[in-house]
Amino acid sequence: MDDSDKTVPSTAAKVQPTAATVGDRPPRMLFNPPIDIYETNDGLVLYADLPGVTTEGLELQVQDNRLALFGRVGNGQTGRAVLHEEYKVGDFLRSFILSDEVDHENISARLNNGVLRVELPRTQRSEPRRIRVSAE
Amino acid sequence: MPVFRWGQSWDPILDLEREVDRLLQGMNLTLQGRSSRRFPLINLLDEEDFFLLTAELPGVQLEDLELTAANGMLTLKGVRKAPPEAQTESFRRQERFQGDWQRSIHLPDRIDEDEMKAEYSAGVLRVILPKIAGSVARSIPVTDGSD
Repeated sequence: MDDSDKTVPSTAAKVQPTAATVGDRPPRMLFNPPIDIYETNDGLVLYADLPGVTTEGLELQVQDNRLALFGRVGNGQTGRAVLHEEYKVGDFLRSFILSDEVDHENISARLNNGVLRVELPRTQRSEPRRIRVSAE
Repeated sequence: MPVFRWGQSWDPILDLEREVDRLLQGMNLTLQGRSSRRFPLINLLDEEDFFLLTAELPGVQLEDLELTAANGMLTLKGVRKAPPEAQTESFRRQERFQGDWQRSIHLPDRIDEDEMKAEYSAGVLRVILPKIAGSVARSIPVTDGSD
């Protein structure tokens, strides 16, 4: 699995927030969530930090060999006096290229306390099959 | 604040700006936004009757979270565990914070410590810190001490 952040993902373009310029509000911010990827016996496991994202706001899609995740966060804090600010409120977007080793049909995901866990099982290698060649 | 921005923008340009901005953030080139290595990130808002502290704490178990207030300081403390069944050598990418963490923040005003409330949902902690109502100014009678 490669991180494909270098290109603008075509599948993710669909899930771009469209409400970016509604009214006078400033455009919504879009962030790259931090991730972990590690290998297990069964395949790969991906974790992504998506604070403020609930299952309703999460879109996860696989198209061709690209896995795209988009997490929408509820409205930020507007019109209040900010005394101290270390983070901005915004949505999350990241996409990945899946290798052929990943069984695309059996990807499963779970969102818990703002952390997404995606299981990417390895495809079962099929045994080489001998093809009998007969003479005409 | 986006780091990459020019003049008035129409939609496709705005999309491009946001995309470039996200890439820069991904490379930790930006001075603002999420490039900080601190964990958790904290905001503090003044809501007139109370202060609202929010902290991004994804994936923290409530039993691993400790919140204390004393002497005008609010301290958050806890531990974020590594993903289960992950061995150090099996990581292909490791960007998420793990381990013990602690953050303290000065409260700008007096707080009613008995009425503090905190809730945790979707990985965000919200702490409500009610202000103590300002006492009415009392006039102090001055007597003639020259006798």
